[in-house]
Amino acid sequence: MRNPLIKRIPKELVSDWHKYLVIVIFMVVMIGVISGMYVGHDSMLAAIDSGREELKLEDGSFELSRKASPELLEAISTGEKADVRQYFIDEGIRKADEKVADAIEEELRSQVRMTIEDQVRMQMNAYGITDEDMIRSQIDSAIEENFESALEQARSSEEFIEASNEAYEEAHSEVIEAVDEKWDEISEQYDLADEDFTPVAVTIYDHFYRNVSEDNDNDGTEDATVRIFKSDDVIDKASFNEGRAPEKDTEIAIDRMHADNVGVSVGDSITVGGKKFEIVGLLSYVNYLTLHESNTDLMFDAFGFDVAMVTPEAFGEMKARVHYSYAFTYDVKPDGKIEQADWSERFLKALITQTLVKDNEIDDYLPEYLRQASNFAPSDIEGDSTGTGILCYILIAVIAFIFAITISNTIDKEASVIGTLRASGYSRGELVVHYMSMPFIVSVAGAVIGNVLGYTVFRNMAVFLYYNSYSLPSCHLVFSPTAMVKTTVIPLVLMFLINLIVIVKKLQLSPLRFLRHDLTKSKRSKARRIPAWSFMKRFRIRILLQNMPNYAVLIFGVIFIELMMCFAFGLPDSLNNYGKKAPDMVFADYQYMLMSSKDSDGNVIETSEDSAERFSSTGLLYPKDSGSFRAGMGSGGDESVTVYGIIKDSRYISIPADMEEGQVYVSSAFAEKFGISSGDRITLHEEYENKSYDFTVAGTVDYEGGIAAFMDNDSFNSVFGKKQGEFSGYFSMNEITDIDEQDIAMVITVDDITKVTNQLMHSMGGFMDIFKYALVVLAAALIYLLAKIIIDRNEHSISMVKILGFKNSEIGSLYIIPTAIVVTLFALVSFVAGYFLMIWIFHIFMLQMDGYFAFYMAPGSMILSVVYLLLGYIFVSVIDYVRIKKIPMDVALKNVE
Amino acid sequence: MDERFLEIRDLKKSFGSGEARQEVLRGIDFTVKKGEFCVLLGPSGSGKSTLLNIIGGIDTPDSGFVSINGDKLEDMDEKQLTIYRRKHLGYVFQMYNLIPNLNVKENIEVGAYLSDDPLDVEEVISTLGLQDHKYKYPNQLSGGQQQRVSIGRAVVKNPDILMCDEPTGALDYKTSKEILALIEDCNSKYGSTVIMVTHNEAIKYMADHVIKLRDGIVRHNDINDKKIPASELDW
Repeated sequence: MRNPLIKRIPKELVSDWHKYLVIVIFMVVMIGVISGMYVGHDSMLAAIDSGREELKLEDGSFELSRKASPELLEAISTGEKADVRQYFIDEGIRKADEKVADAIEEELRSQVRMTIEDQVRMQMNAYGITDEDMIRSQIDSAIEENFESALEQARSSEEFIEASNEAYEEAHSEVIEAVDEKWDEISEQYDLADEDFTPVAVTIYDHFYRNVSEDNDNDGTEDATVRIFKSDDVIDKASFNEGRAPEKDTEIAIDRMHADNVGVSVGDSITVGGKKFEIVGLLSYVNYLTLHESNTDLMFDAFGFDVAMVTPEAFGEMKARVHYSYAFTYDVKPDGKIEQADWSERFLKALITQTLVKDNEIDDYLPEYLRQASNFAPSDIEGDSTGTGILCYILIAVIAFIFAITISNTIDKEASVIGTLRASGYSRGELVVHYMSMPFIVSVAGAVIGNVLGYTVFRNMAVFLYYNSYSLPSCHLVFSPTAMVKTTVIPLVLMFLINLIVIVKKLQLSPLRFLRHDLTKSKRSKARRIPAWSFMKRFRIRILLQNMPNYAVLIFGVIFIELMMCFAFGLPDSLNNYGKKAPDMVFADYQYMLMSSKDSDGNVIETSEDSAERFSSTGLLYPKDSGSFRAGMGSGGDESVTVYGIIKDSRYISIPADMEEGQVYVSSAFAEKFGISSGDRITLHEEYENKSYDFTVAGTVDYEGGIAAFMDNDSFNSVFGKKQGEFSGYFSMNEITDIDEQDIAMVITVDDITKVTNQLMHSMGGFMDIFKYALVVLAAALIYLLAKIIIDRNEHSISMVKILGFKNSEIGSLYIIPTAIVVTLFALVSFVAGYFLMIWIFHIFMLQMDGYFAFYMAPGSMILSVVYLLLGYIFVSVIDYVRIKKIPMDVALKNVE
Repeated sequence: MDERFLEIRDLKKSFGSGEARQEVLRGIDFTVKKGEFCVLLGPSGSGKSTLLNIIGGIDTPDSGFVSINGDKLEDMDEKQLTIYRRKHLGYVFQMYNLIPNLNVKENIEVGAYLSDDPLDVEEVISTLGLQDHKYKYPNQLSGGQQQRVSIGRAVVKNPDILMCDEPTGALDYKTSKEILALIEDCNSKYGSTVIMVTHNEAIKYMADHVIKLRDGIVRHNDINDKKIPASELDW
């Protein structure tokens, strides 16, 4: 026989449908959004991943100043290092031989001439001829007659051979000595003397491009820079979101995101490099998922930069200079980041040496794993869902808690029935299962519907959000096991456990105590005395005091709602605040990062700019606590720390002049994020090498712009094994114009920082507003459920006071006013609690991400966050009043439990 | 008839501690035969409900024991006690304690579900005269009808012992007699031993065995040889 209690469940669902509907909607929205995010992410990451294969993403690329010869490409593709030392020696000897040969020839000629002259003079003297003119004439004719044969004779003399060999040998050893001296320096610089070197064979592809101007509206002014590739490229290909590849010389396909941002579409005409093209396709290049013009750009620029495809003929007709860029793929794929880094370095050695010996120059080299344009989007997508996931779980936990409280109230109401059932032989387990079935069914329904919506509606929203920022390829729906676990298993487990704990605890009591309605642990204390206020006032106080546990739950809910409000209002405020503070977040108006402290000629790079000040910097990692719940979430990796070496009495960063080696100052963002204070010891380590450095924190530098540590420049050079006087760049108040652009790796200005926040606001702005209003609705739903608990619990009393003759308005004022007072009072208190809790949660959240910015709420947002909650409560009060009116009088009279 | 089907020996129970300590049962001894209709009679506070609860295994004595068919309840853990109640007992309370969102038939099925050998639900409904109400919900029934349902829920299990705690306490005279007649029918028809707690002296006349309690001790333990049908009771 089936347990007849099962029949209660559908009836329970129907009778209290509005409550369960609110809960299901709540869960559906939360689970749907989070599932949509995960499925959207996974679909997009799958599309990106499959694109890497299908569209043949490079493993790296390099650019040469001249077109490479087939021999050079052949040599590079072997991955073998060229013997640079021998090349230099051979070259040196060749040049030395030429010089020595010239010198010997000249000397020999002079010697032969002198010998002939001497012999003629001797003969003339013997004949007693002293007339100089006659002697000169005789010498001339002797030289004319005998010079060549004498020269020949001298050349074959042993003496000459011996002397010239000596000269050659001396020259050769001088060359070898000079090359060796230079080689030591070069091989140290590029670590070319590595004896364990094994070559990494690659396949190289031409991937030439031109940077030309783009005029979107054909008004004669340049709107963007467009990087043009040929349609017959076999590497780093594009997928087409719309249209097709160009087939005629007047056709062009441009980046989808750029087209979207500047408002052009298929069929429009744009002027590229002075020539009109018709847009026939919108594409996404596999190596340009974000439009980073240069890998050193802090943020992509989908407005001012574009990538495009034209036919090889159209490419050939363009006038801008060709960038001889070559993409390569490893013949065997590296496994993991460390191997990628290792292989990339090995390949670079082959590239440097082979290019050198084949008489070409490298303009650029970039391994794919460091390429921002292809890695920024996927890493951002991967990291993004964490925050939403955590919020979802908190909300589910709150819902589970409310559910548990509701069921706990039902158990209280049904105490006699439970007592009877237990007395009749129903086991505690059977009743636990019975009372658990409702939250289970509702959770399963929420999870199933949520997931269905997640895979359909919300997934498209997530995809749309990312398409709004990135040039992503078209994606197809993929089943996401992660989404399945995180949106089904975790919410179900949360809901199940919280309810199980509450219900099991509640049903621990003996059948007798249920029968006696003796459900509280503590015995009732004495009735509290209330001052001689008006009757209604005292009645309200009594209601308030009697419902303390329910109000405690309500207060908990209000705190949580305020927390959500602080989140909804605070996140965009924090971003805006970060944007506003951005100008203060640079050390100097200009920060120049140099390729090296010396130029290609070996001279130290100097500037005449008065405000310029040298600094050194390097990137290290700070280990994040792997034992915490953050491990494996978000970026998951360790925190990137920029370590700066600062000159004494710097005008840009103030640290004491008498710091000892091994001491550092840390940025306030670093200190706040990881709770570091003076005297602490920190260990920073290299990303790709097994090297770590211990430092003692001597103090903090007020700098919110990044996770950084500062030390004396001399200590910096000593700690990191740099040569005395070496540095990485210049801080400057003004633009530096006298440093060759080739020597500058990156310039950071205030604009770069604001560009980051602007891009963030552009990408997240719309989402934030939706999020804010969704949270307001969720807050109203929560307060509805919480207020309902109070009315439900007092149904019997309300019915009784109705019988006694109280009017609905009086009953309303009795039961709604105490709740209103509690809600208003605690909305204010909870705002403060929520605000500080949010600061803490934000801090924890930030720990998972790279970088740091503090939580901030504008005063207007603070007021609105409370006002919205109260508006939600007013709405709920109206519903409550209607509900009070509907409570029948027989509830108190009939003996129905 | 099993002479010692239910045996109660030196049963003591008190509540509270120190000065507030109140001895509710002060050494109760009696036995009940299988199939007997036994009435526990006594005024309020005499300890009769506490005694019933201890017999029903939902309360425990401070000392002494209760044994059913030779099995002592004190030797049973909570799980065994639940099985004991499930297999052997049916409960009827003064308040009917029906499940509000289950109809009459379903409320009776709640009892049937617990038994390995339940009576036919329809037959019980018919015996209780609830055919016309079987799809009604508790709040659509009168008090007497609700108590019939609660009796149905208890007897459908076909229990060895039917425990009734003031089953007519909330009912009027006529309805009370109908309910008592029903319990009497169940006792004779299904052979269940009935232990009924009441303060109504008149009910003793329909019982086989009358135990009178006062101040926690058995004042009278009488076998009624001249029992009369419930319908003939008067008070």
